[in-house]
Amino acid sequence: MTPKTIGRTLLFLVLMAIMIFMVFGISGQIIKYGIMVFAALSSGEGFAGSENAASIMSKADNLIASLSVIITALVSFFIVKKYICSIERVRWDFLRRMFLYEVLMAGVILVLFPFFWMLCTAFKPSGQELVLAEGNPFDIIPNSPTLDNFRRVLKIDSESKAMGVIDPVENKKNFGTYFLNSLLVSTTAAFLVTLFSSMAAYVFSKKPLPYKKNIFVFLLATMMIPGMMFMVPQFFMICKMGMFGTKWAMFLPHLASVFGVFMLKQFMDTIPDSLLEAAQIDGASEWQVFRVVIIPLSIPIILTLFLLTFLSNWSNFLWQLIVTDFENPLSITLPVGLALFRGQYVSELGLIMSASCFSIVPVAVLFLFAQRYFIEGMTQGAVKE
Amino acid sequence: MAIKTTKDTSVALGFLSPFMLFFGVFLIFPIFYSFYLSFFGTTTDYSLANLNFVGLDNYKTILKDVQFWWSLFVTFMYAAISIPLGITVSMALALLLDNKLFGKSFFRSAFFLPNVLDMLVVGVIWTLIYAPKFGIVARLWTWATGGGEHFFNVPGILGDPSTALLAVIIAMTLKGAGFGMVLLLAALQNIPGDVYEAADIDGANEWQKFWLITIPLLRPILGFMVITGLIGSLNAFTEIYAMTAGGPQLVVGGETVGSTSVAGYYLFKQFNAGNYGYAAAISYMLLIITLVITGVQQKIAGKKNNDGGKRK
Repeated sequence: MTPKTIGRTLLFLVLMAIMIFMVFGISGQIIKYGIMVFAALSSGEGFAGSENAASIMSKADNLIASLSVIITALVSFFIVKKYICSIERVRWDFLRRMFLYEVLMAGVILVLFPFFWMLCTAFKPSGQELVLAEGNPFDIIPNSPTLDNFRRVLKIDSESKAMGVIDPVENKKNFGTYFLNSLLVSTTAAFLVTLFSSMAAYVFSKKPLPYKKNIFVFLLATMMIPGMMFMVPQFFMICKMGMFGTKWAMFLPHLASVFGVFMLKQFMDTIPDSLLEAAQIDGASEWQVFRVVIIPLSIPIILTLFLLTFLSNWSNFLWQLIVTDFENPLSITLPVGLALFRGQYVSELGLIMSASCFSIVPVAVLFLFAQRYFIEGMTQGAVKE
Repeated sequence: MAIKTTKDTSVALGFLSPFMLFFGVFLIFPIFYSFYLSFFGTTTDYSLANLNFVGLDNYKTILKDVQFWWSLFVTFMYAAISIPLGITVSMALALLLDNKLFGKSFFRSAFFLPNVLDMLVVGVIWTLIYAPKFGIVARLWTWATGGGEHFFNVPGILGDPSTALLAVIIAMTLKGAGFGMVLLLAALQNIPGDVYEAADIDGANEWQKFWLITIPLLRPILGFMVITGLIGSLNAFTEIYAMTAGGPQLVVGGETVGSTSVAGYYLFKQFNAGNYGYAAAISYMLLIITLVITGVQQKIAGKKNNDGGKRK
C-alpha cells in the first residue's frame, strides 16, 4: 500500500459517502412525492380529507424508507463493484467521473428545486405552507396533502358553493377558464404563424421575385428592434380597431414572425429544386407543390416553429396584460390570471403555487415529449450564424 | 419565358401576401405611428381620443428625467452583472457535460427545462423563495443559525436596494443557464480534437488550452450571448414585475428611484399611468440605443474579420 493508494481509497470513500447521501435523498423524495400525490387524490375534501391523507402518508413511511434504502444499496453496490474491478490505471479517472456526476446532480437539484418546491407547496393545506417537518427542514413534501388548493383555484370547492356564489361571471374567473383561453390563443397563433411563415419562406427560398434578397435583408434587420418598442403603437391600433379585451387582440399583432420565416427558409434551401420541377411536370398546381412537396419535407422544422410560437404566446405576459379587459373572464389568460390572483391572495402560498401549476406543468410535459424540437429550435438561430 | 416569369411573380406575391400584410400592419406601420404618438401627451380623461398635442415636449422632458436615465443605468447594471454571470455558469455546465457521460442527455434536458417555463411563474416562485420570514432562504437561515433577527427576515433579499437586483439576476441566471449551455456545448463539440493534440505536443497545460484555444474558438457564440443578453436586458420586464415591481426605493441625487426599475419596467409604468405619448418617446430613445449597440457590435465583428483576413 503506497501513500498514493491510501489517499485514493480515502477519496473514494468520501465521494462514495456523498453519492450515497444524494442517491438516498433523491430517491426518497421522488418515491415520497409519488405516494403523496396518490394520498391526496384518494382522500376527500377539507380537514377530514387531509387527516385521511396524513394517515396514508404515515403508513407509507416505512415503505418509502425501505425502497430508498434498496435503491441506494443497489447503486452503491454497482459503483463499488465497478471501482474494485477497474484496473489500477483508470481509477483516478473513475474518481474524477464520480465527482463530475455529483457536481452535475447538485446542479440539477439547484436548478429544478424551485419547481419541486412549487409542486409540493401546491398540495399543502391552507395555513400550513410554512410549517417545516419536525427535525428535517429539507423535507418539504407535505405530510397531510390535500387537493383543496386546486379545488379553490378551479372554483369547484364545496365551501364557495355552500356560501352561494351564483354570480356566473365571477365563477368563470377560475384557472380552468384561463387555461382554456391560453390554450386557444396559443394554438391559434402557432397555427397561423406556421402557415404564414412557411408560405413566405417558400417564396424566399424557391420563387423568383424582384428585389427578393433586399426584402429578406430588410426583414432580418427589423429583428433588431426591441419588442418593447411596439407596445404603445400596437396598443393604440388594437383599441382603434375595437379589439380591446378580445382574444384576437392577444395574438393578431404577433402573427408576422420574421424569425420563423428565417428558420424555415434556411431549411427549405436544402430541399432540391428538382423535386419541385418533377411535381410541376406531373401537372401539380402551385398550391399543390407547396402542400404535397414542401410541407411534408419541412415537417420537423414546422413542428419546431409551432412549438416555439405556442410557447412564446403562452408566456407573453406584458402584451396580454395590457390588452386584457379584467371584467371579462373570457379574455383573461394564464399569466394575467396569475398576476391578478397573486394580488388577491398574497399570503396564501398553496393557492398561488397550485395556480402556477396550470401554467408550468403542461409546458414541462410538452417539453419532455418534444425536447429535441425545443432545444434545436431555440438554439438554431445562434448556431447558424 | 418572360410570360412565365410574370406569372411566377404573381404567384410569389400571392404566397407572400398574408405574411407581408401582418408584417406591414403590425411591425412596420407601428414604427412610424409610434413616432407620431410621441408628440402627444397624457389623456385628459383616460380615453385615447383626447390626447393633446405637445410637440417636442416629451423629448425635452426625457433629457431632464432623472428616473429615465436612472432606469437606463439599472438596465446596464443588469446587463453588466447578468451577462458575465450567465456566460460563466453556462460555460461551467457545458465543460462539465463535454465528457463521455452516461445519462448526458438527461442532464442536458434537466438544465434546459427551466428555459421553456413561464417567466412570470418562475418570478413568482422565486419571490416566495426569497420572501422574508416564510421564504425558504430565510427559514433555512433561521434553522442554521438558531433564529434571531437577520438580514433575510428584515428587510429580506428583495427588500434591500443593494441586493434586490442581484437576487433577480441569480434567479434569472438559474432559469436561463441551460440555454447558453446547449449553445456552448454544441460549439465545444465542433472543435476538432487535433487542435488540442497539437497543443499537448507543444506542452500546453489545461488552463492554457482553455484560454488560448477554447475561448477564442467560441468567440462567435460568446459574442452572440453578449448581444442577446443586452437586448434581453433592454426588454426585461416580466421578471421585475413579478419579483420587485421596480422597488425597493432609494434616493439618488434628491430623487426617489426604484433600485430595480429597468428601462422596460419604467416604460410600462409610464404607459400604465396614461402617459402614452411619453411612453412612445421613451421607446424611441430605447430604439436609438439599441441601434447604437448593434452598430458598434457590427463594427467590432467586421474589424475582427478583417484582422483574420490580414493574418492569412
